[in-house]
Amino acid sequence: MRHGSDKQPRHFTAPGDAPRVIDQGSVWILVAAPSIWAAHFLLSYWVAAIWCAKTGPMASLVEPRWIIVALGLICTALIAWLGVIAVRRYGGVFVIFEEITESSERGRDRFIGHVALLLCVLSVVAIGFTVIPGLVFATC
Amino acid sequence: MTDEIDLSRLPPPEPYDEARDTAQRKRLMEAWREPPGWKIVTAVNNSYIGKWYLLTSFGFFVFAGILALMIRAQLAVPGNDLFSQQLYNQLFTLHGTAMMFLFAVPIFEAVAIIILPEILGARDLPFPRLSAFGFWCFVIGGIFVCGSIFFGVAPDGGWFMYTPLSSDPAYSGLGTDIWLLGLSFIEVSSIAAAVELIVGVLKSRPPGMRLNLMPLYCWYVLVVAGMILFAFPPLIAGDLLLEMERAFGWAFFDPDRGGDPLLWQHLFWIFGHPEVYIIFLPSIALIATMLPTFAGRPMVGHSWIVLSAVGVAFLSFGLWVHHMFTTGLPEISLSFFSAASEAVAVPTGIQIFCFIATMLVSKVRPSVPMLFAGGALAIFVFGGLTGVMVALVPFDWQAHDSYFIVAHLHYTLIGGMLFPLFAGIHYWYPFVTQKNLNARAGKWSFWLMFGGFNVAFLPMHWTGIMGMPRRVWTYDLSDGWAVLNMVSTIGAFVFAAGFAVLALNVLWPRGKAPLVKRNLWNAGTMEWAAEVPDKPWGVRSIPYIHTRYPLWEQEGLVDQIDRGEWFLPDAEEGKRELIVTDILDARPLFVQRVGGPSFLTLGAAFCLGAVFILATFHLWAITLIFGAGFIGFTLWWLWTGTSLIPEKPEKYAGRGLTLPTYAQGNRSPGWWAVFITMTGDMTAFMGLVFSYFFYWTALPDFLPSSAHLPGFGWLMLGLALLIGAWAMTTAARETLGHGQRGLAMVLLIGALPMGALGIGAWCWSAYSKGLDPTVQSFDAMVWMLILWMGLHLLLNWVMHLYVAARVKFGHCTPEYRADLMNLTLFSHFLALTAVTIFALLALFPLLMGVGP
Repeated sequence: MRHGSDKQPRHFTAPGDAPRVIDQGSVWILVAAPSIWAAHFLLSYWVAAIWCAKTGPMASLVEPRWIIVALGLICTALIAWLGVIAVRRYGGVFVIFEEITESSERGRDRFIGHVALLLCVLSVVAIGFTVIPGLVFATC
Repeated sequence: MTDEIDLSRLPPPEPYDEARDTAQRKRLMEAWREPPGWKIVTAVNNSYIGKWYLLTSFGFFVFAGILALMIRAQLAVPGNDLFSQQLYNQLFTLHGTAMMFLFAVPIFEAVAIIILPEILGARDLPFPRLSAFGFWCFVIGGIFVCGSIFFGVAPDGGWFMYTPLSSDPAYSGLGTDIWLLGLSFIEVSSIAAAVELIVGVLKSRPPGMRLNLMPLYCWYVLVVAGMILFAFPPLIAGDLLLEMERAFGWAFFDPDRGGDPLLWQHLFWIFGHPEVYIIFLPSIALIATMLPTFAGRPMVGHSWIVLSAVGVAFLSFGLWVHHMFTTGLPEISLSFFSAASEAVAVPTGIQIFCFIATMLVSKVRPSVPMLFAGGALAIFVFGGLTGVMVALVPFDWQAHDSYFIVAHLHYTLIGGMLFPLFAGIHYWYPFVTQKNLNARAGKWSFWLMFGGFNVAFLPMHWTGIMGMPRRVWTYDLSDGWAVLNMVSTIGAFVFAAGFAVLALNVLWPRGKAPLVKRNLWNAGTMEWAAEVPDKPWGVRSIPYIHTRYPLWEQEGLVDQIDRGEWFLPDAEEGKRELIVTDILDARPLFVQRVGGPSFLTLGAAFCLGAVFILATFHLWAITLIFGAGFIGFTLWWLWTGTSLIPEKPEKYAGRGLTLPTYAQGNRSPGWWAVFITMTGDMTAFMGLVFSYFFYWTALPDFLPSSAHLPGFGWLMLGLALLIGAWAMTTAARETLGHGQRGLAMVLLIGALPMGALGIGAWCWSAYSKGLDPTVQSFDAMVWMLILWMGLHLLLNWVMHLYVAARVKFGHCTPEYRADLMNLTLFSHFLALTAVTIFALLALFPLLMGVGP
């Protein structure tokens, strides 16, 4: 009961307190890694698009290359950090036939951690995909 | 860990009493009964709306399918003139438009509205009247768009309606307006459905169904509805720009006036590519739901499928430019999108492998639904692989706008969407009608469609590579495409015959056929707990769920539900009641009362439909009258049906659980609906922001000299006033909370002139510098942003007056003030919009060194 939008009509609240979605439930971690991918993707696209639009059609791409690489490294590092959090939430040994069907708050937390971890891996792979063209192309 | 009631240690149910059971069933029936006779049109229950939605979408499917057959008939032989060129253009435009907007997306909503509440063990979705409203909008808009072909004015610019062909009324007649306004209207209903489904998945789960126990279907629905929220609004923004150019000559897409036709392609495909996945994911969700049933075991890699759904949802937003590989963008830009288009195959593949793994570790029962599911995977994988081919830029340069693309997209859509849907129809038909489909006819329809489809579309890969462009009206014998086209046409008619068998099978009257037995497939998900014959209340009592496949893993559950041993087994007050639970752990939060049958939703949909249709013909005066009618109906609907103060503050829900009957703020579904709707609204606004920066990137002299920029001082003053209005709304919430009703009303009403002065100052800042939207793209963009703010302010004023009246008449009180909380949330978004517009108009030019 910390926020204005939490206030309910007096005396009549549900039995038991619901965890807050963002801080206690930490569902943010589910969208965080792919959002970093999205940010990296858009930034790379914008950097290249603006560079090519403002410097001419056959401009060299060697100069902005380090920006793309740096962006890739920063984003990968951020996701790695998220991955560490996700591993902690998951708290399990990584097995293929993972079924987290336990009906408890911890079970839910582990499940979110597991999915978040998988999303971290996918996001890093997708960022790798985006960085490659930045390394290959020499001109717009 | 938080304080949690242990649902597994609830007191035991009261012993069974047949008299009580009968009485409870009678009261439930009374509350959930649908209106008799012709008044059935006012029904709002998900089982009715869902069924109508489904049948209507299939109606449009048949219509668009007939158009497809006409196209194939025209292309059967070289030099054909069966249909005029002009009609042919309308045929393919309407075929694509109707299939995408009137079938593929609505059918997702239709299926979800039918089965989602039942899978969740809920009685209905949280906003049944909103579903009904969305459905009627869809019917009216769809008939309007499709009907235009009978008057020879159907849209004819292709389903993606590229500018400048579509932005110049001289090239494209009324058809484009019909397309723009008709579809914007239908998008309203899609977004309404998305809001309904997101809140449904998040807040209407049965007690105990934590996120890790939520069925895969619900994950897909959540993800897809979220995608709709981010994909559709940019198109609405694009529609707005295009219609302003067509109707009022604003300069957005005309290069002579500083516009850029490519902007439309960006806005269209930011919508258009995620759209493909919006269509594909819900259908694959059907396979993910029925596969465990036929495999007789839980899905292998549950979390992996969730990963794949979420991953695809994100990655699909990074693909839009792969539709624009031939527009001359820098190669480095193309390669980013090419890379992302390859990357999306990774999560898409993961879910397919999970399906295959599930089938490998179990013995799959053969059945008609599985036949369709198998056919779907085969066709889809083929289409996916050609997708990987066209994602490569050099290959795309060869295949672009050829029949290869036509083949590719039909393989992905028919394999990824249509066949799974047909599988779903065979699977859930007994759930909806309690009768069995004829399995023999099912097999016939499958093999006719599977064969016909491949005969029709496989040759198109060759015609495409041989150079046949898509949308071409006819061709010459010397082109060498004649035989392959004839084969395609034959295949198309075989496919249609297969569909006819399916349609007959589904629509065949089975009045005297025996009822199916309960849970006939022996499935594990909750929808099969429904009684046979069906009851309008959905579920007799709302159970506590603590497994992923409750009908398999919770012994005796169905009997407990039937005996009314779980929550809300009764309707003492004669109201339709649901349990609203929390997002993470589905802890019961409160008992929500939802609206019953009503004419108001119909009236609102009819008036809104009239507004869009009349605006097409520029009949502004009558448009305004119907607009007022729409507002009237909507307010009446809200006033009499939402945020009602309950007759008692809490009620006994059974099994020792007493729950409040009212919630506000982030516990109430209404608050979440506002939050989600406004997220969509912000996305549309982001479409405009994107346009602004797109112009700045693409056009060297987009920003004018400082003499032609809107006045900085006036912009600043306007922002201060708008923020002031926002602060007053927020203060109203606080003061009402402290019991000062009068002051709250003063603040609410006072915010109106404050906001008016603010937007007035902004208008003056542009007007005083002579900015004319018909002259330059920058001017048009400035006025568009101001107009956007103005339209939202108008809406905000109606809300302020409404809430002030609610306070005045005692419907919104210091204790029960959900209305005001929702209004405040809306205002937060408005303030954010105002700050962003200020940054674009005042700060960005300053940053670029052209400011005052």
